[in-house]
Amino acid sequence: MSDILSDISTLVIEGNFEDMPDKTNAAVEEGLSAEEILNNGLMPGMDHVGVEFKAGNMFVPEVLRSAKAMQAAMSIIRPMLAETGTETKGTILLGTVAGDLHDIGKNLVGMMCEGAGFEIIDLGKDVEPETFVEAVKEHKPRILGMSALLTTTMRAMERTIKALDEAGVRDTVKIMIGGAPVTQSFADDIGADGYAPNAASASDMAKQFAA
Amino acid sequence: MRVNKTNYLVNRTPTFEVLTEEEIEAIYYSALTVLSETGVRVYHKEGYDLLGQHGANIEDVTEDSALVKIPPEMVDIALSTLPRKVVIYGAEPDQHKMELYKNQIYFGAGSDTPFTIDPYTGERRRAQYEDVKNFARLAEALPNLDFHMSLGIVQDVAVGTYDRWQYLAMLEGTNKPINITAVDKEGLEDQLEMAYIRVGGKEEWLKTPIFSLYIEPVSPLSHSVEVIDKLMFCAEKRIPFVYTPCPLAGATAPATLAGTAVQALTESLLGIVLSQLVRKGAPMIIGGLMSAMDMRTAVYSYGSPEMALLSAAYTQITKWLGVPEYETAGCSDAKMYDEQAAMEATMNIASAALVGGNMIHDVGYLEQGLTSSGEMMVASDEIIDMVKRILKGIPVDDDSKALHVIEEVGPGGHYLAHDHTFERFKGLIWSPKLVDRQNFEEWEASGSKTHRERVHERVIEILEQEEEPLMEEGMFNELKRICELADEKHKDEELDLDMFG
Repeated sequence: MSDILSDISTLVIEGNFEDMPDKTNAAVEEGLSAEEILNNGLMPGMDHVGVEFKAGNMFVPEVLRSAKAMQAAMSIIRPMLAETGTETKGTILLGTVAGDLHDIGKNLVGMMCEGAGFEIIDLGKDVEPETFVEAVKEHKPRILGMSALLTTTMRAMERTIKALDEAGVRDTVKIMIGGAPVTQSFADDIGADGYAPNAASASDMAKQFAA
Repeated sequence: MRVNKTNYLVNRTPTFEVLTEEEIEAIYYSALTVLSETGVRVYHKEGYDLLGQHGANIEDVTEDSALVKIPPEMVDIALSTLPRKVVIYGAEPDQHKMELYKNQIYFGAGSDTPFTIDPYTGERRRAQYEDVKNFARLAEALPNLDFHMSLGIVQDVAVGTYDRWQYLAMLEGTNKPINITAVDKEGLEDQLEMAYIRVGGKEEWLKTPIFSLYIEPVSPLSHSVEVIDKLMFCAEKRIPFVYTPCPLAGATAPATLAGTAVQALTESLLGIVLSQLVRKGAPMIIGGLMSAMDMRTAVYSYGSPEMALLSAAYTQITKWLGVPEYETAGCSDAKMYDEQAAMEATMNIASAALVGGNMIHDVGYLEQGLTSSGEMMVASDEIIDMVKRILKGIPVDDDSKALHVIEEVGPGGHYLAHDHTFERFKGLIWSPKLVDRQNFEEWEASGSKTHRERVHERVIEILEQEEEPLMEEGMFNELKRICELADEKHKDEELDLDMFG
């Protein structure tokens, strides 16, 4: 691997988002393709972060800093990737469901998935089923993620899935859900495609859905 | 009488402090700065209009909310009418009452866990009506638990009306004061109706309110429509209520604990100001529920030393403000009642009691507040008992110094048979019920049981005790009717879901 790609990996691991744009531009000037930068520089860095996080050697704020460094590079190479028609991971649409203002878990999932190379469209909190439906139609995401903290509001996940169904777009997305009172059996009951008990597994699940 | 002592300080109970008065003031004035300069978001038009009419700046009005900036003088005015003491009674008011003010400690359960641990099978499953009733029966039986909350979300009834059923289940199990939760304002109205019936009418309720309501704004600095609805209704009807944000250091609040305390206080102050605008003298209790995010798992830790430390700090702040306080202890991140659970509960119970928190809740919580456990509750009862012995301190006077007894027994004698011992040992020398102090042979002969096994047996023993119902059948049916009517009203909103599949 070229030195510059290994430097990019290191910047991701260190979460050094300040130096990342210069390094990425230097890599482009050296003639490396956006695809090479992504697959051989950024992704190995994030993979390393993922391993260290699971082993308990890295912590959430450090992982988020790495994701931020990754984003600093992505904003430079994304247009090039689009130009060459390189397949990217795709878009994830996220939101905390209707009636619920708790969004820390959803935000964490967003940042983790961004770090895994996804583009995130965050609809925010207290998102009505119709808003999800409109956004699915508009953005055509590969994945839809819903979050709820309350047993009263988690039912809005089922209402949302029903609304997507009625609008005829249910099968255009993979749906993953999460939140403290949510379980795998609840996900099965309401017809979601997956349940993630934490942000790291949400990111893993998204990668599987995108594969 | 000859006086020969001066500046002799008496310390009847040990004291625990984590902040100096100057630090408390610094936190308070910082909260006033956040409230007036950063502001808080209020998702309730009537609520922010009322604040605006009384001098708050209303900015950035959106479809559903506004940013509210409250000048310090509005806080001063509100604090001048806020009751310094709040009293909550049990369903039989002559049996139980909690007088919440500075340094009065009361312990009680936590509320609304989606899951519970089945006392017979040990299985973690969704909570049902019978579980909530059984936890209330445990609370009734345990002497160191002074108030109660619903240790489980009742999920074998309709989702929009479970709050009424929880209240009914608790009233079936205990006569102690109850801190309820409500799905929304309508759920609160129904439960108030139930309380009127239970205590013998509205007039009796006003004299002896038999519940308080738990209200939780969302950190950082957000007050949802349901939250403000409940707050305004409580203030209007003089229902005591707990206003407790649950900021999480490093996630929904600054990672620095002082910053978390500033933000939590800002969130509580909004509740104080608005409640006193709705009705001067409206009784409220401010929380007390703060922790740090576990940075590996991203969970809200209920067993962290930061939670104990923040709770202690908040208690000191509220004592300084003269506002009754809601505290947190008796809870853990363990998945079952085990060594970790005992360790974390001992730490947070000791610090909450020593600092003098008022309404100390969450006894019985496991798994970051997602699961309730009878074992955790029974074991915590004895931990509280042990800590209360420490609170009795070491009175130092002529009798307790016992110079005359030492003189009488003299070198080489013993105190076992002395009247001074006989008359005083009870209450001075703490005696455990579940903690084992037998010698090895006795312990072996009694079945070589671990602490966990003894605690479990005690849970089952309490649950299998035969008891007279706490309410007459007629009253029970009347209360149940309110729950059923609510179900009837909301039946079309139900989704076709089996929560126990």
